[in-house]
Amino acid sequence: MARGDREFVEFARAASARLVHAAFLMTGDHHQAEDAAQTALVRTYASWSRIHDDDAYGYARRTLVNHLVDGWRRPMREYPTDEVPEQRRGDVADEVTTRRWLITILGALSPRERAIVVLRYYFDLPEAQVARELAVSVGTVKSTSSRALEKLRSAGPRTSDEEARR
Amino acid sequence: MSELERLRQAMRDTERPDASLDLAVVMREGRRLRTRRRVAGAGAATLAAGVAAVVVVVAVGALPGDPPTPERPPPVAVAPPPAGVSPTASTSSEPTPPPTVARDVPPPKPLGQLIDSGVRHGADQRVYYFVGVSVPGEPKVSIGLAAGRRAANGMLTTDLLVNDVDGADRSPGFHQIGYDEGSSTVPVPTFGYFVGPAHRIVGTVGGRQVDARLARWSMDKQVLIFWFDPVELTPGERLDGIIARDASGRRL
Repeated sequence: MARGDREFVEFARAASARLVHAAFLMTGDHHQAEDAAQTALVRTYASWSRIHDDDAYGYARRTLVNHLVDGWRRPMREYPTDEVPEQRRGDVADEVTTRRWLITILGALSPRERAIVVLRYYFDLPEAQVARELAVSVGTVKSTSSRALEKLRSAGPRTSDEEARR
Repeated sequence: MSELERLRQAMRDTERPDASLDLAVVMREGRRLRTRRRVAGAGAATLAAGVAAVVVVVAVGALPGDPPTPERPPPVAVAPPPAGVSPTASTSSEPTPPPTVARDVPPPKPLGQLIDSGVRHGADQRVYYFVGVSVPGEPKVSIGLAAGRRAANGMLTTDLLVNDVDGADRSPGFHQIGYDEGSSTVPVPTFGYFVGPAHRIVGTVGGRQVDARLARWSMDKQVLIFWFDPVELTPGERLDGIIARDASGRRL
């Protein structure tokens, strides 16, 4: 395997999980998320020799988000799956409830708004960078973030424990 | 915990660290995309040169009689590199240039004589011809078969170009088949080439057998170019099977 290929494999192994999860947060659909992450990595690999010394992760992330935002013309499904991951790290019911809660909140946003929330709060990018990557104003990033947090406040409890305590 | 912290935490709590993608597929598709970008660049250049050529990337599955070749990518068209660029520069590790428009890039130059199929599109003749191609890492692939139209004034328009993406372009047997992809202004009759002493090429579609029209390539008589009359086989319709027979009717 060529050096560039080895570097890409290393990069892809490290980045896959986060890209898939970011796509899941934007789609609510695991299969669609995997497809989108794969598309982002394919495009990243196609341009690898040009970008691998720069910010490969940023390139893959931007490709993923643009692919999803541009491709969506339909609303997010409310909660398409109850499938449980094979490897559990915590309480199953709690994670499923958290996942549903997240999808409910994100599902109320437009694709671009979801992208802003994911870039801002999952990837922890500064507002100015989110604005640059999505070609929107910083004001839009701020107002969307604020709107998402407002929805979050009105969305109710997050975990099954919290639900039980209600 | 603030709402914002809850949101961040929830996003991280629901991560699946075991999420994995098939990197072999990713890299194979990435290579194909890289090649397509090169073709797109060459196609744009051709258009800018004043010739209404549409160089199309064609993805064709393995032929019905092909041996199974796992990991074999579908064939893609590769136009010659722009003038002044060495073909040897097209390695898999070179930067992938964005599609560009260059006014001094000529359309692919046919190798050998053009084959007149007898099919007409208005005043244009449907012709087939080989052109030189370059596939990164595949030194034994140097030709691709193009479907084009020749206007009354001699102007040549390339509609579709297919070539091998691995192996050798002169290996015995069938190579890639070009199907109409709906990207040209006129339908492209199904075409391809066979290397060997074939005297008859028969395609099967929907239980029906269709004989292909044949012509030897002027530069290598072992190479038999074939195409299907669009009246007998609708352009774009996939063949269920295809076979070659020698002069005695024996299947090759």
